[in-house]
Amino acid sequence: MKRPSLALRCLVLLYVAALLGVPLVFVFQQAFSHGWAALWAALHDHAMDEAILLTAKVVVLAVPLNVFFGIGASLWIVRHPSRISHVLDVLIDIPLAISPIVVGLILELAYAQNGWFGSTFSKLGWKVMFSLPGIVVASIFVSLPLVSRQVIPLLREIGDHQEQTAATLGAKPTRIFFTITLRSIAWACAYGVTLTLARVIGEYGAVLIVSGNIAMLTQTLTLNIGANFENFNGYQGFVGALLLALVSVLVLVVIGVARHRLERKRHDSFA
Amino acid sequence: MAKGVALGYISLLVLIPLAALLTNAFNHGLGAFWSAATGTESLDALRLTVTCSLLAAIFNAVAGTATAFVLVRDNFWGKAMLNTIIDLPFALPTVVAGVTFYTLYGPLSPFHVNITGSWVGITVAIMFVTLPFSVRSVQPVLESLSLDAEAAASTLGASPFHVFRTITLPAILPALLTGTGLAFARALGEYGSVVFISNNLPYRSEVASSYVYSLVSSGQVSSAASVAFVLLSCALVVLIASNVIARRLARRRG
Repeated sequence: MKRPSLALRCLVLLYVAALLGVPLVFVFQQAFSHGWAALWAALHDHAMDEAILLTAKVVVLAVPLNVFFGIGASLWIVRHPSRISHVLDVLIDIPLAISPIVVGLILELAYAQNGWFGSTFSKLGWKVMFSLPGIVVASIFVSLPLVSRQVIPLLREIGDHQEQTAATLGAKPTRIFFTITLRSIAWACAYGVTLTLARVIGEYGAVLIVSGNIAMLTQTLTLNIGANFENFNGYQGFVGALLLALVSVLVLVVIGVARHRLERKRHDSFA
Repeated sequence: MAKGVALGYISLLVLIPLAALLTNAFNHGLGAFWSAATGTESLDALRLTVTCSLLAAIFNAVAGTATAFVLVRDNFWGKAMLNTIIDLPFALPTVVAGVTFYTLYGPLSPFHVNITGSWVGITVAIMFVTLPFSVRSVQPVLESLSLDAEAAASTLGASPFHVFRTITLPAILPALLTGTGLAFARALGEYGSVVFISNNLPYRSEVASSYVYSLVSSGQVSSAASVAFVLLSCALVVLIASNVIARRLARRRG
């Protein structure tokens, strides 16, 4: 089977169009269904604007933390393997196996008022659950492995010859990191950061439990869409969905470019 | 120092909450855990979740392999776009998919198809979320596969199906299995895309994550922890089993 038949191509196109294309187009169609003026008014909905602001805050706090952690953990796991780093390697992937609802539940069990650390935290005056820190922690949890899963295989593949050469020639560790390591994993990082961003913006189940879902206060954009939909305000919900769909199209483009670059790098390193 | 920070980060985030789950699931004894996990509503929810997830994972394993084939071996206008849109389920928030599927295939469906409150709707939503997994795991293996053996087989008179079954499929099977395992595990916990189209009717169309959520909202935290523990164990068993079998298959091929 050198080249698939035309029938297979059509079946595949039909499958992808029905499952992915139709819903994406439908979001745009619904958001524009009442005309530009209605869309403009819906974009200025107060509760939705507050929700957008909160989602932006969560992104600014959660994404950099996970990127630092992801790169650091990858370097440790690949370049300085030990028994502890093996444990870290296993632990880091666990969030992928946990349901978002269960993520929310276990964070509540550990950090809510009546949870393990609840009384300690309230003595210190910290409020983790049902406020911004809780939402940030939940977002960090669900996107924890996304950077390291991209970076670890690439670090393994490129090896450490260049880094060792630079060290022999007297380069300091920070200089080696910035001029050699970071440069060679840049596209893998970009890929991981974009996936992290998409996941943090789009998280629903975990944030639903952890935030308490209070409009204007602890409601992220995804929660706002869900709430509008449940309150028979479907149009407003689809306007929020339109914004997220636009973001996801951007994310797709960046992911596409990053994957292309990574493949080319792989071909070069084998050649 | 940096290592300490990394370990602290992962303990606060993953280890301590997981330990809290274990103690809350079992703090009223094994009997309480067992009755919470095997109550009728819980068992119905778990059965429905496993059935729909398995259906979606198997369907996507077949359709995903076909998609990977077309992406690697075919050539046509728009192929780059097809390759890009495959990742949409990773980029589009699950809640957006959820409300869209409910509006498309619910009581107000423009196509006059209503699949809400049934296993069909749940399976469709899960198919959407898990579509990229098998494609993205099979695609790189197909790309690195040499065409020599396939060409030789077809010169000797093997039918295309025979070539696929005896040469191509064994080569991609480990990757396909890993991808399908990932998809299955992800499907078991899916919430945002499923919760709207499922209507959450207890005993009928309530998935496990949705049941856990209803327990949490009504304050039954220990029961929620018990069901969550079962759900999490299922996902981990699926992931480990698919990895072990895939590794064995790959080793047998040498």
